[in-house]
Amino acid sequence: MAEKEHKEIKIGSHIPAESVKVVAESVGIAGLPDDAATQLAEDCTYRLKQVVQDAIKFMHHGKRKKLSTADFDNALRSKNIEPLYGFQSKDHIPFRFASGGGRELHFTEEKELDLQDVINTPLPKVPLDLSLKAHWLCIEGVQPTVPENPPPASKDQQQKEILDTSVKTVIDKQQKPRPILEQPTKTKHKHKGITDLAKVKDLSTHELSVEQQLYYKEITEACVGPDESRRSEALQSLATDPGLHQMLPRFSTFISEGVKINVVQNNLALLIYLMRMVKSLMDNQTLYLEKYLHEFIPAVSTCIVSKQLCIRPDVDNHWALRDFAARLMGQMCKIFSTSTNNIQARITKTFNLALTNERAALATQYGAVAGLGEMGSEVIKSFLLPHVKDLGDRIKTVTDGVVLNPADKIAAENIKKLIAKYLPPVLKILKGSSVPVEDYNTEFGYFGPLIHAAVGRERKPSGNQASQIAKAAMSQGRPQVYIQQSPQAINTGQGRPLSGGIRTPTTPILQGGQPKTPSTPGQQKIVIMSSQPRQSTPQAEKSVNISSSNNSQTVVKVVGSSSQGISVPGQRTSTTPKIVVMSMPQGSGSNQSPSVNNLSQDLGVRSVFNDQSASNIKKENENG
Amino acid sequence: MAGQTPGMFGSSRNVAVNSTLQNEAKSDFSDKQTLLAVLQFLKKNNLKGTEDLLKREAGIKDDDVIPQTAPPSETDVSHALAAYKSADDPSLYMDHYTDLKNFIESCLDVHKVELSMVLYPVFVHMYLELVYNEHERHAIIFFQKFSIEQEDYYQDDLNQLSTVTKKEHMKGNQLMENFKGSRFVIKMSRDSYNHLKRHLQEKKMKPLLNIIQEHLFIDVFDGVPRSKQQIQATSGAVLGENERDANKAKVFYGLLKEPEINMPVEEEEESVEVTDKSKKKKVKKDPLLTKKAKNDPHAPQLNRIPLPEMKDNDKLEKITAYREALRRVKVGRDHPPTICFYTMLNSYKGVTSLDIAEDSSLMAAGFADSTIRVFSMTPQPLRCMKIASSLEGIDKEADDVLERMMDDRTASDSKLLLGHSGPVYAARFSRDRKYLISSSEDGTVRLWSLFTWTNLVCYKGHNHPVWDVEFSPYGHYFVSVGQDRVARLWSTDHHQPLRMFAGHLSDVDCVKFHPNSNYVVTGSSDRTIRLWDILNGNCVRLLTGHKGSVQVLAFTPDGRFLASAGVDCMVLLWDIASGTLLAQMKGHTETVYSLCFGRDGAALASGGLDCSVKLWDIARVIQEIDTEADISIPSSVNVNDNPKLLLESYSTKATPVLALHFTRRNLLIASGPAQIPESTKT
Repeated sequence: MAEKEHKEIKIGSHIPAESVKVVAESVGIAGLPDDAATQLAEDCTYRLKQVVQDAIKFMHHGKRKKLSTADFDNALRSKNIEPLYGFQSKDHIPFRFASGGGRELHFTEEKELDLQDVINTPLPKVPLDLSLKAHWLCIEGVQPTVPENPPPASKDQQQKEILDTSVKTVIDKQQKPRPILEQPTKTKHKHKGITDLAKVKDLSTHELSVEQQLYYKEITEACVGPDESRRSEALQSLATDPGLHQMLPRFSTFISEGVKINVVQNNLALLIYLMRMVKSLMDNQTLYLEKYLHEFIPAVSTCIVSKQLCIRPDVDNHWALRDFAARLMGQMCKIFSTSTNNIQARITKTFNLALTNERAALATQYGAVAGLGEMGSEVIKSFLLPHVKDLGDRIKTVTDGVVLNPADKIAAENIKKLIAKYLPPVLKILKGSSVPVEDYNTEFGYFGPLIHAAVGRERKPSGNQASQIAKAAMSQGRPQVYIQQSPQAINTGQGRPLSGGIRTPTTPILQGGQPKTPSTPGQQKIVIMSSQPRQSTPQAEKSVNISSSNNSQTVVKVVGSSSQGISVPGQRTSTTPKIVVMSMPQGSGSNQSPSVNNLSQDLGVRSVFNDQSASNIKKENENG
Repeated sequence: MAGQTPGMFGSSRNVAVNSTLQNEAKSDFSDKQTLLAVLQFLKKNNLKGTEDLLKREAGIKDDDVIPQTAPPSETDVSHALAAYKSADDPSLYMDHYTDLKNFIESCLDVHKVELSMVLYPVFVHMYLELVYNEHERHAIIFFQKFSIEQEDYYQDDLNQLSTVTKKEHMKGNQLMENFKGSRFVIKMSRDSYNHLKRHLQEKKMKPLLNIIQEHLFIDVFDGVPRSKQQIQATSGAVLGENERDANKAKVFYGLLKEPEINMPVEEEEESVEVTDKSKKKKVKKDPLLTKKAKNDPHAPQLNRIPLPEMKDNDKLEKITAYREALRRVKVGRDHPPTICFYTMLNSYKGVTSLDIAEDSSLMAAGFADSTIRVFSMTPQPLRCMKIASSLEGIDKEADDVLERMMDDRTASDSKLLLGHSGPVYAARFSRDRKYLISSSEDGTVRLWSLFTWTNLVCYKGHNHPVWDVEFSPYGHYFVSVGQDRVARLWSTDHHQPLRMFAGHLSDVDCVKFHPNSNYVVTGSSDRTIRLWDILNGNCVRLLTGHKGSVQVLAFTPDGRFLASAGVDCMVLLWDIASGTLLAQMKGHTETVYSLCFGRDGAALASGGLDCSVKLWDIARVIQEIDTEADISIPSSVNVNDNPKLLLESYSTKATPVLALHFTRRNLLIASGPAQIPESTKT
């Protein structure tokens, strides 16, 4: 027995004698003696290993790293043994593991196929034919950054760069042809040592090539410009192109400065565009963003919890931006949070502070709830749940209060929805199904009934599905969902003729009278553009040029021919041809004028979020 | 000393030492035999007390007696293995091995490295003796205890060895037969050898002595002991290093002199076609013809082996080649290359071979599904020849007869060749691009016509998979190698091979013709490279140093140097003239499958499964050759393993590099199948 154990340790694998017996029985030899079985098992093990070693030769000549069943068949054939038929698999066969009763077993799963199904399934697509594709792997020693080539600096390299600046020089060096100074020496022993030793440390450069500068300019222009198709192209490029890492510092500064300015300007659309840039950069598999988080995180969290993100908080859908940014933040925490940088903990703390602050604006609290909600169930459990009651009290005073502040009311409604969205999945696990409404009431106060109902819906299997579907719908078209359901935001749209026969969506008049926010109807503009098509606005081009080439002043407003530039709200008069572009709540305005339709398409201001563009267009048109 | 060659001296002494060792061993052996016999007698007669007493006195353990009493069962085992028969106490082996190890450990550092080379073969043979004599338990314990201490590059063999634990298994095991049939060669300086000899004589350890006498060949040289690095550079082959005399034969590595008639014809052609001939001609002399002007003493006679006569077409071809060569760019240390990569899409992991024609106009790919595809890499499509009846109507005197005989209706970018019944492991073009030769798992070699795109001949000879095949640079001949450990030289018009080159101890994995067509070089899984003379079939070079099977070989354009690479991820450069290892180029992380020298021989490109193309500075290696070194003394030869030999590395996304080819203008073409479907989408 000891012998056997030794063998198993060394050789690793071994056919047990029991298997031999089973095989013997299956071919009609009953009662195989133990000795014979052991002998056979050992011989089998040996023969099998011989065949496997032969099969490795076939793998080598097949120019592969992975041994395939075909290799094994070939090895059998070369030994004049009939190969096994029916075990063709090009991929590796996954072995499942099962244990029980003190026995451990590895097996391949074989599903029983119903022939009827096999016959009835449509034929698979004919595989694509073989083709040859040529590209330049390198040109005079320089690898062009085309999609066929790997990115100049791998993610690992970029990661290393954080710790060791000398890596940066290596990466940079790869991009440029090396200056070759070292001359070979004829007498090999004397000078070789010296040339090897004298390794001058290269200075890392931060210059961008002309192409890169052009690319940067194009991308930033497109990302914040009016043309939606160009924007999606640019974002696509940011999300997929390799070799952007050299421009990453510029992009991060652009975004962070852009957010800083546009928050002050309450420029919702641009904030959204910037967040989409962040999203694209995060999606890019070849980029390692950790170095720039100090710029991204403040920018993104600003978009979540800022008191005001738009000029008219009561109608503008800044909730969508907050949600989007919150999702971004959740993603960032998931990817980058480590025990050393503690990103998640720090951000959670920030949100928690906002949530517990009594004097914080409701919009800020909304952002805090959304931010915490995106962090996962653990965070919800320990940070969101304890404050739900306090929050509920506050919402209650707002909704039931006499002081009718429409903006606050919308905020209250939205917070309610958020609570109903994030809490039930957690509470479903936390609480038993028989917990009565009263318990919820005592625990969550004002939100008690709401949460109870939501949890109940979550629990129901059918309700579960429905809520999932609803959730999916929400995640796609969330901004609309919220606004359509807010009863306060009823407004009327009035077309006002402008010079050139273009109509602009006018400012909606609110039922609740003057809002408390400093914005007045006349000033509620978000993106200001000329009424002319984009190509013919040199001024607009210019202003963007400035912004992209000079980082310190990142003003990303596209200013039209009205020559107003960036003006203080209040100075503007309603007569200037500006177009306010935003997704409007469902209004009564049903008179759709084709001119507006055309205009909004020309200017590419249809949508803020890609996946909801279609519905947004509709909405705007309706508003127009 | 002065008059004697070191070789003669060494070998004569070697024999003398062996005989003395043998005598001593014999006396030791007979002593023990008698003791054991007495013990047996006592046991048979149940004289327990006396038996125990004697045992204690003689220091013999219980199990020592067992091998004597067990009836020998070697009658059914092949007689050849009888070399391992031994009646020794199995536990002695372990003691002896430990003793040898301790002795080596106690030696001076200078000798330690050289002496430790003895350990591996001793270990292997001890293990095999244990197995042969059916001490399975001892064998396994012995193996476990000492196998980890062996060099990394022997672990592959050790893995194979570890599967053998029974006497019956030894029969028919390839590795076993290699160890049994040949001696393990070790080169050692005289000082180290004397050390070892003295120790062995003092200790009188019988099994150890037996093994060293019978299975080892110690090649003694005069000079300082080699350093660890020197030893490691050339060790690694299944049976140690090459013997001193293995590389003594003269090799005519020079290029063949171009036939005289070629020159005037060429110039006439030139004067007709090129207007500014005076300018051209001056430059033209330079790139390729300098060698041919004077008589190269290293070049073989033109008629050393019969070569086909040059046709007009070949001459035209040569002229275009010269022209192209004029416009060649440099690739080397100061001139980074330009690489064009041909990615094979949707190959579904099945590409087993890739070859690019000499003039870079065609590419052939062999697939695991037995098909061969030929691609055109120029805008010129591939066409079939017209059928015989319509060929008759063509005016054979017309200038463009070659053009006229092709059928334009059959034009396509790629052609499919069907005929093999197993994975196609090699498909190579003839230099004139009229033929393609392919080899496959089905054991056949097939000749294809690139006019009719059909199979012309099927050469059957190998019974096992044929791993590689190659056409001679002058056509007519081709050579094939395979799992049967033999390389065969064929001529296209014979269905039987002309030569068989036998000598490798394991599969022959790759083969290459020397540029002068007089030699063939083969690389094998026994981790050696052999150069064979086509004229007489002799092995004229045996090159050891690879630590894994050799998968690819390449000659420099001038025929002097050879590069090889394989599973061990190293690229080695050899001097054919002396058979020495010049450089070891490390950098690849996976098996290397393709090598190609630049047309001017200054750079070497290599590529493999690690999805990168690496460029090596060959000019530097050649510059740094130590010309004063005495090749006969192994310790004076240094191997260049400067990491700066790696000039550049260019990686692909996920495409292993299976073919590399420098065009006549020194543009590097690389090719391989894309592995991950994602990469094909972008």
